[in-house]
Amino acid sequence: MSVFQAILIGLCYYLANSPWPFGGMGNYAILYRPLVGGFVVGLILGDPVTGTVMGATINLMYIGFISAGGSMPSDMSLAGILGTALAITGGIKAEAALAIAVPLGLLGTIFWVGHMTINTAFVPLAEKYADEGKPEKVWIVNILLPQLTVFVMTFIPCFLAAYFGGAYIQDAINALGGDVLRILGIIGGMLPAVGIGMTLLAIFKGEARVFFFLGFLLAAYLKVSILPLSLIFLCITIVYMQLKGKEGGVANV
Amino acid sequence: MSDQTSDIIVADKKKESLLTKKDLISAWLNWMYYFQSCYNYERMQGVGFLHSMSSVIKRLYKDDPEERRKAMKRHIQFINTENAFGSAIVGLVAAMEEQKKKGAQLNDDAFTSIKTGLMGPLAGVGDPLWQGVAIPLLIVFFIGLAIDGNVIAPILYSIIFFVLYYAVGYWLMKLGYNKGSEKILEMMENGAIKKVMTGAGIIGNAVIGGLVANYVTVKTAIQIEQAEGKLFVLQTELFDKIMPGMLALGLTMGCYWLLKKGVSSLKVILLIVAVSVIGGLTGIF
Repeated sequence: MSVFQAILIGLCYYLANSPWPFGGMGNYAILYRPLVGGFVVGLILGDPVTGTVMGATINLMYIGFISAGGSMPSDMSLAGILGTALAITGGIKAEAALAIAVPLGLLGTIFWVGHMTINTAFVPLAEKYADEGKPEKVWIVNILLPQLTVFVMTFIPCFLAAYFGGAYIQDAINALGGDVLRILGIIGGMLPAVGIGMTLLAIFKGEARVFFFLGFLLAAYLKVSILPLSLIFLCITIVYMQLKGKEGGVANV
Repeated sequence: MSDQTSDIIVADKKKESLLTKKDLISAWLNWMYYFQSCYNYERMQGVGFLHSMSSVIKRLYKDDPEERRKAMKRHIQFINTENAFGSAIVGLVAAMEEQKKKGAQLNDDAFTSIKTGLMGPLAGVGDPLWQGVAIPLLIVFFIGLAIDGNVIAPILYSIIFFVLYYAVGYWLMKLGYNKGSEKILEMMENGAIKKVMTGAGIIGNAVIGGLVANYVTVKTAIQIEQAEGKLFVLQTELFDKIMPGMLALGLTMGCYWLLKKGVSSLKVILLIVAVSVIGGLTGIF
């Protein structure tokens, strides 16, 4: 990986945690997701297809992650971006990449707690601008200072990890040998079960439960892939809701 | 909550408005972009909300330093809500500021109670709707294509989400600005949202079930030697014949059960690592 590519990857991680280019929540739903972050890293490293595959595989772990009220269970953007970068330069398989990415995501939560703590220190300055009645200065405390903080906290570690990690990961993997990679692959194959389990916590409820098994059986026996499966169940759901509406009400959810 | 006051005020709003369309859009976009830029443990999105109100304050209290100061102080207070749904608060508060400037009796408490009264219900519907339903469903819809190496999948996902999210945000901002808080709360309790959530729950479950079969991989490597040097391969000759992916289903239900019992996701991850390492070394997997 060239220095320039490592800079772009660091920048990508910064942007995923900044308001640009899609807005606060826009970025959180787009660039922050490994599905998109992996694709962008793939573009940077000249292999968008592998990047997309890696990112999407890593994303399996984070489908149902919800951040509400200021908590962040895992930094999926670092997992997706740095994980994909290391996986592409190291030439490892997608499942093993997922096993490497998940610890990165846990490490990334330090940044989240850190920047929210540091931001608290900017509140008195915002109070001061309010006392002076100067709305034209609010951008300093709402954009300039916190974004500089985020930039330092995200760009530098990600750039260094991508550059030096990228340089040594190939040797490290060669040194580790096939057994370690095989076990990483086993871990990565199983890990999506945790992400899916977390999603189920939110949606595996009431009358909808039987549809989980129906979806599983269709995919397992008839090898229906996800896209056609979603379309089939869109129709089934509409029919189901219509029949239910006739029975009277949507009350018992 | 002093909803009624604000609703009456908003309802008999005179036709001429003091805020230009540009002021309103600028307030809304600043909210959409920078609401969480200075996210902190003391005020949460308070500084971001002040930022979004800046264009309104600049327009209304251009020649009145004292009012400008007061307005800024009342909008730097604690607020924490969902971004797109919170647009309704931005629109409503902008309308209230406009009325105040026209002479309506609105004190700081009226603003605070509107903001704190709406932020909870809006986040209560918005967070699960976006993070629990819309994003996972869209991701799941495209993730299969992406894993097969289709680069259009992440691009399409991004475009669809962006358009949907900003359309809803803009609509709610206009609703808040034109119709007031009663209409907002009415909309939140509307049966249509519940119906969409129920339907999404059904599709979500089905597709998540499909994900288990397609992308959770658990294969045992156990082989049992039979007579005449013949090997009985447990995975392909037993498990795959009964139900392909049955181990994956078992593992997923096991993880779900542990998580539901309150075991942290970190512990479940570590358990999987331990099982994989031991299983991988002993030849079980």
